[in-house]
Amino acid sequence: MAKSILLLVGTAKGLFILRRGGNGRWSMDGPHFPGLAVYSAFLDQRKGRNVMWAAPASWHFGAELCKSTDMGKTWDQPEKRRIKMPANTKTSLENIWQITAGGDSDSLYVGAAPAALFESHDQGETWKLNSGLWKHPHRKQWTPGFGGLCLHTIVTDPKDKNDIKIAISTGGVYQSADGGETWQVTNKGVSAYFMPDNYPEFGQCVHKIARHPSKRKLFFLQNHHGVYRSRDGARTWEEIENGLPSNFGFGLTVSRSGSAFIVPLQKDAERFTCEGKLRVYRTRDEGETWQPLTKGLPQKNAYEVILRDAVASVGDNIFFGTKNGKLFASMNDGDSWKMIEGSLPEICCVKAYLV
Amino acid sequence: MPVTVHLSGHLKAHTNGAVEVSLAGEFVIVGDVLDALWKQHPALRDRVLNEQGEIRQHVNIFAGNDSVKRRQGLATKLTSDEIHIFNAVSGG
Repeated sequence: MAKSILLLVGTAKGLFILRRGGNGRWSMDGPHFPGLAVYSAFLDQRKGRNVMWAAPASWHFGAELCKSTDMGKTWDQPEKRRIKMPANTKTSLENIWQITAGGDSDSLYVGAAPAALFESHDQGETWKLNSGLWKHPHRKQWTPGFGGLCLHTIVTDPKDKNDIKIAISTGGVYQSADGGETWQVTNKGVSAYFMPDNYPEFGQCVHKIARHPSKRKLFFLQNHHGVYRSRDGARTWEEIENGLPSNFGFGLTVSRSGSAFIVPLQKDAERFTCEGKLRVYRTRDEGETWQPLTKGLPQKNAYEVILRDAVASVGDNIFFGTKNGKLFASMNDGDSWKMIEGSLPEICCVKAYLV
Repeated sequence: MPVTVHLSGHLKAHTNGAVEVSLAGEFVIVGDVLDALWKQHPALRDRVLNEQGEIRQHVNIFAGNDSVKRRQGLATKLTSDEIHIFNAVSGG
């Protein structure tokens, strides 16, 4: 049976679930967790289990990790929250920024603020703080950005469960080759223009990293000013900005065909799409050149912001959402775009799946 | 003395719909009342307090008309038979 596409769209006011029917039309249900901000969501399809995870955050009552085993019809809210900072950390959970599958079939990872990684190795039944990262000597020198001190990106490897890469704002890229026991900083070549030393060992405000689908050592990185590529497993980085109107932005995805997509914003102090035009930029040559994609996107008076987890792909279908609540889709690797929702709340994350 | 706890409607998902909970017992400080409340409705604890056992930043607890955050927090001596747990007027 032909698969359809399911989108999990987390917004500042709840989670929306969209499905693309066989006729190409989209249907939507939600908001789930109405009024609560959902910065992360995930559909675990490993072993055919179809378990949804989402992390609603209440301004008043804090953030939690919730599970649905009926594709979003109902969600649990455990009496004791799954993700909690241990008492000896002397801190409290601020938000959950990322929910990701581990490299094996039962592990899950959660990235949180304040710069914490949680892990589960039993399909989310039990969770613990990753102590290797928490005890990292750099941790006390990481500083919060505008969104808090967030561990917002986790990249795992189905071919090597011990390989985990993360990104922290601000801290930068760290990675473990031993399943999270120890962590190495790998920011070489990435700029931190806001620091006295523009190329420090750590302290970069990396906004997103993503791996090429078939070349395991090839990574792309969207920085707080700077777009980069790594050919050595996210260890060292080189600038790839040829053809871009700006090197500032947040979201990044790589499609099945290996095309990478970003949405540049004017600059740090002017966080909206360049020149009032909503343009996605695509590279098909691993970052040597970037081309603007405009077909179906507004090219006049379009002052949009696309957040770090609001660009996603499944296959060669690309999706992104804006802070103004517009959700766009391309079903042809970015060649043309269509707005599928126009008045959602501020979109915090978009996750795409074949179901 | 017995105490009645009045809860924000936002919390009734964790109390089977109740927004008023009557607690019998001898309570000295506000924290004693809350300990009894958690026993009756365990899910409230993680929502009202953070992991350090502190009242969340945007939650207010009143004993009578006094915000306990302006007194001694959970250690505030109980001088009223009514406790209110509200979400603060904040957000966007």
